[in-house]
Order: sequence, then C-alpha cells, then structure tokens
Amino acid sequence: MTKYALYPGCVMPTEQYAYEVSIREVLPLLNIDLVDVEGFSCCGEPMKSMNQLMALYLSARNLALAERQDLDLYVPCPMCHLSLSECQRVMKSNTEMRDRMNGMLASEDLQYNGSIDIVHTVDLLHDHIGIEKIKKRVKKPLAGLKVATHYGCHLIRPSEIGRPVDSENPQKMETILKVLGAESLDYPEKLDCCGAMLSANLPESALAKTGQKLQKVQEQGFDVFVDVCPWCHRMFDSKQVKAGETVAAKLEMPVVYLTQLLGLALGVKKEKLGLELNLSPVDKLKLGDK
Amino acid sequence: MGIVDLTSMAEGQTTLRNEINERLSKLQNEISDYCFQCAKCTSGCEAHKLLELEPHKVVALLKRGLIDELVNSDVIWTCMSCFKCRERCPQKVAPVEILFALKNMAVASGKQIPGKYTAMLQSVLSIGLIQDVQIVSTRDNKTKKRDDFGLPGVSKPVDAAKFQTAITKLAVEKV
Repeated sequence: MTKYALYPGCVMPTEQYAYEVSIREVLPLLNIDLVDVEGFSCCGEPMKSMNQLMALYLSARNLALAERQDLDLYVPCPMCHLSLSECQRVMKSNTEMRDRMNGMLASEDLQYNGSIDIVHTVDLLHDHIGIEKIKKRVKKPLAGLKVATHYGCHLIRPSEIGRPVDSENPQKMETILKVLGAESLDYPEKLDCCGAMLSANLPESALAKTGQKLQKVQEQGFDVFVDVCPWCHRMFDSKQVKAGETVAAKLEMPVVYLTQLLGLALGVKKEKLGLELNLSPVDKLKLGDK
Repeated sequence: MGIVDLTSMAEGQTTLRNEINERLSKLQNEISDYCFQCAKCTSGCEAHKLLELEPHKVVALLKRGLIDELVNSDVIWTCMSCFKCRERCPQKVAPVEILFALKNMAVASGKQIPGKYTAMLQSVLSIGLIQDVQIVSTRDNKTKKRDDFGLPGVSKPVDAAKFQTAITKLAVEKV
C-alpha cells in the first residue's frame, strides 16, 4: 500500500459526496491508503480575487500540515491542486516570501520546507498507480461506451506552474478510459471552461458556459460525460437542467466522476459509488446492471 | 475581526494597498511592455465569448497607467480564471494575473465586492471552509447528509481563534 494524505478541500467534503465516496471506495482496491489529517482549511484559490496573499497563506498552511505528517498529498480538486502547486513553487523559489509565510505559520506551530509531492486523481491513476495495474484489475469492461472527457481548466493550465496533464492536448483520462474498455474521443469543445468561477457574482453567465459546452457534447452523440473536478461536476451534473434552460436546450447528458466509472469497471457495486447522487440521468447508461 | 474590517475599512488597509500597488507597478512597468497587442489572449478568452472581456485591452490600459479606471470597472469581475491567456501568451504577459491584482486592489480600496465573494470570505473566517456541510438530494429526491455515506468528519482548523488571527492579520496589517 502507498500512503497519501487526503486533502479534501471545501466543495467535495461539504457537498460533492459522490466524488469522495467513490475515491474512498476505489483507490484502496489499487493499493492506495488514504490518511485523513485534522486541521485543513480552504486552499485559498476562491479567495484569490479578493486577496492573493491570503490565498498563498492558506495554501502554505495546508502544505505545512501535510508535511508534518511526512506524507505526500493527494488533492482530488483541480482548483486546490493548482493553488497548492503554485504555493509550493513560491515557497521553493522565493526565500523572502517563504520566510514571511513561515513567520506567520509559527503562530499555529507550523512551518513548510517544501518537501512533499502533490498529486491529483488523474496523475495518481495514470502515472503513480499505472495503466498496467489498472488493466489487470478490470472486471467489467465498459464495452462500447462513448465517453467525452472534461479535465477542468485548473488541472491543465498554466503549465508554467507544472500541471499533471498537457495543457493543449490532455490525453491521460483517455488512456485510462481505454483500458477500462470505453471509447474515448476528442471533440472541439474539450478544453472549454465550465464557468463555475463566475457562480459567485454572475451565476446566469456561469450556467450559460456550462449549457453551451454540454449542448455540443450531447449533439455529438456521446453516451457519458466524465469529469474530475467537484466545481465542474456541480455545474455539469447538479445544475444541468438550469444550464440547459440558459441555452434553450433540453439536456439529458449523464455526467459521472472518473472514479465512479472506474469503480464500475473494477466491479464495485453501484450503491457504493454514490451514483444515486448524480442528478443527471445516469440511469440510462445501464451501468453496473450487467 | 469581522468581515467589515477585512473588506471596507479603508484606514487599516493602507499597507495592503501599498503592496498591491507595488505589484501593479511592476506589472505596468516591466511586464506589460512585452505585450505587442497580438490579442491571442482575447481570441481564446472564455469570458470574451460571453461577456466581452478583452484581456489585451486590459494590458493596454494598464500600460497607459489607467489603473483607477480598471479598478472601478465591472469588467475585471467577468474573468473566469481559465488561464488560457496566461498559457497562450507568446510574451508571457499573463493578463489573468493582472486581473487578479486589479480585483485585489478593488477590494482593498473598499469597493463593493460583487455577489457571494463576501459570504465565502466570511465562511472561511468562521469555519475555515468556503461553505459548511450541506444536505444534498438524490436523483429520486431523497435528502442525504454526509454521515449517511459513512464518511468521516470534515477536516477544519482545530484552533479557530489562532486561525482567524493569522488570516485577519494578512488583510489589515503588514506582517
């Protein structure tokens, strides 16, 4: 078993339970041991528009907590992953800022020395666990399932900070889905944003972004839309009906987390993957019934 | 310290404003000079397609020193931080980072913060997370709590007072 500290962030543990349930169910089957750590806070990324320094401090604080456990950090949310990676980069390259942050962290008896690695679901599966190992564990291949993938902006850009997948042609999810037996195809809107960051101040526009992308995916005849971000999933799955209304389309696109689909392919019962929480019409996939 | 101190008490914010000003001057004097207005940022901008944000114009205005005008404009709040402009700029200008600095300045100057940002900040201050645990609905309209899935308690700052002191300091005084 390889041990990782799980950094849950805000959105997944307070609302997007399907992601957390499926992660905790599936990763141990692939010899990943997730360790819960007390005391984490928001990563700071949603605060960045208001106060970048606060965002940096919040990230440094979370990294310090993980470092104290001497564990690498598994971060399922791309937004948190970017915020923590960016902070990691600053703490390693800017000694003045590192000293300043560590000076503040001292009030909670914390400090960060930059020793830990940060992984996301996609690179954990693709690079650390490895395609071959996943292939060996597949029990119920997702034969013939046509899948559209959505990585989420924060997972693929900016590459300057070091992201787990390529910024203009991400293919790691496609590779994973292929060994699960599914058919994963590129589509023109693949890199489009879900709009979630606008939910705070321009919710209608945010929904329009979601609707526009999903409408195109539906028109192209995909069976299912797969994501790996709790913010994106909230838009594409939880708010799908409303998103459809903003573009005057009836959207009926099943949306699932990659970890849910992976679980089904590994033979996990669908009751254990939180599939009842997907508000999009996932029943029409007839997954897990075979 | 409450939300008022963090966002609208202009007196305590002088140091913070000076810091953001330094950041903006650096962006204005050093970085925006590299921009040759190719508009590659705008051609890919997610907010441009929907809300008429034009990152190359933001860079041009900054270069001309029209910082107050930008800080007072609503358009800086239409960026959805997709980072395409930063990724694709041939000159490494990163309009998205300029927009972050401008929004920070708007907040530090006591301008009205749009939408739910204040609520998120308030929540981070009180419980460390942008929202507390929610009751959710299943596809067949049953309500479920986090506990129903056998999930452990949510990780939050253990000593709330210490946590609040640290992040409040960041907003109102030089550390």
